[in-house]
Amino acid sequence: MATQQIKKIINWFSPIISFFLIVGVWEFLVRAFSVPQYLLPTPSAIAVDFSNSIGSLLFHAGVTFWEAFLGFLIANVLGILTAVAFVHSKTLEKSLYPFAIALKTTPIVAMAPLLILWFGNGIFSKVAAAALISFFPSIVNTVKGLKNVDIEALDLFKSISANKWHIFSKLRFPTALPYIFSALKISTSLAIVGAIVGEFVGANKGIGFVILISSYHLEIVKMFSAIIAAALIGIIFFWVVSFIEKRIIFWTDTED
Amino acid sequence: MSFIDVQNIKHSFNSLNVLNDISLRIKEGEFVSVIGPSGCGKTTLLKILGGLLPPSHGNITIKDSSLDIAIKRRDFGFVFQNPVLLPWRTVLQNIELPLEIIGDQTPFAESEKLLELLGLKGFGKYYPKALSGGMKQRVAIARALVFNPDILLMDEPFGALDELTRERLNLELLKIWEQTHKTIIFITHSISEAVFLSNRVIVLSERPAKIDEIKEIDLPFPRTIAVKQSKEYFQYITWLRNKLKKS
Repeated sequence: MATQQIKKIINWFSPIISFFLIVGVWEFLVRAFSVPQYLLPTPSAIAVDFSNSIGSLLFHAGVTFWEAFLGFLIANVLGILTAVAFVHSKTLEKSLYPFAIALKTTPIVAMAPLLILWFGNGIFSKVAAAALISFFPSIVNTVKGLKNVDIEALDLFKSISANKWHIFSKLRFPTALPYIFSALKISTSLAIVGAIVGEFVGANKGIGFVILISSYHLEIVKMFSAIIAAALIGIIFFWVVSFIEKRIIFWTDTED
Repeated sequence: MSFIDVQNIKHSFNSLNVLNDISLRIKEGEFVSVIGPSGCGKTTLLKILGGLLPPSHGNITIKDSSLDIAIKRRDFGFVFQNPVLLPWRTVLQNIELPLEIIGDQTPFAESEKLLELLGLKGFGKYYPKALSGGMKQRVAIARALVFNPDILLMDEPFGALDELTRERLNLELLKIWEQTHKTIIFITHSISEAVFLSNRVIVLSERPAKIDEIKEIDLPFPRTIAVKQSKEYFQYITWLRNKLKKS
């Protein structure tokens, strides 16, 4: 019992310790070799800038998060619905799946200027970019999950002459839920990538905009603060989805 | 009139002949086991009997009506090799799944009685992952019984269980059969299990399977463990074993 508790504490503290270790070494090396600020600032300088500009960072991160979240919602709602349609119609799957793959293989960076042209400089072009990049994992995972039904379970449903809706609602959908959640988790980071790429191409607010502007002005400290802010919204977004997943899917043994 | 009438069933998957002209009559309330070499098509036969697989050729009537009508009537309760419990449902919710699909609001006491009948009392709120293999298969049997079908189709239900659990579940299945008067078609690999449980044992040949032998098991009911020490019991087993070797 006691050893287990000690283990728990070690597990909890070890990433914190390694974080400080890495940051410490970074700080030391930058100072020891007098690396110029515009190449690699010290962690302490970044921390000072981060806390000084927390208000503006929060605003821009909020904008990026909102774009990513809307894109995430649209992509996953459409992705899940399309997957459901695919599973129930082979013809539909065969005729549309190649386009989904084509969409996946086209880099979002290549399409971003077009999206700006179509949806303007505002939020919608970023939402579209976030949605486009998240759509494919959503559809692929959901299709996989919906098809991952045990044959004997299907036989069981058929033997009591269950209709398609029963099979979907009581068997296919719950079976697919763990897959859908892994798509949602992948989408969280992808949607943020999409939103930032959209902001790079044309925006006047958002984390991508801040990164771009600070690179023009060679304000590397500011850039680092923005990168950290982008990472943080990604982590929080992922964490919230994982939290909801753990609440809903209690029956699988997922590793921590 | 026979309860289940199987006429000249043939079945093939693509060009592979699996069942070759199977005809069979089963009386109401009978316990019939099907044994045969592995891969001979026992499961295929059971799926065809239960309407899960349309046969390539032949005809089946259940209580004088076609298979389609029998399925709509929910004549069949299936128990598979795996318990196939839905992990997001509790034991009780798993048992009541067929009722939700059929839309039959059988009073709650019915499922409680089933829990008791299958030795699952107090486990209703458990999730499947907390149960042992034997317990899971009990839940599967309860789920097959809950909507009160006339016929139980069981595909090696105890094949994955250890010997002692299997023996206990055999006894309990006999008890349930005596109480509910279901007609049971039971597929097994085990000759002794078939002899112990059945009124009749059907021996299938190698693929493409046909009926090699139908053996009446004339051991007294209710059967207890003591039956397993009787001379007749051993004679049946020896006889069937020789039959299976030859085929």
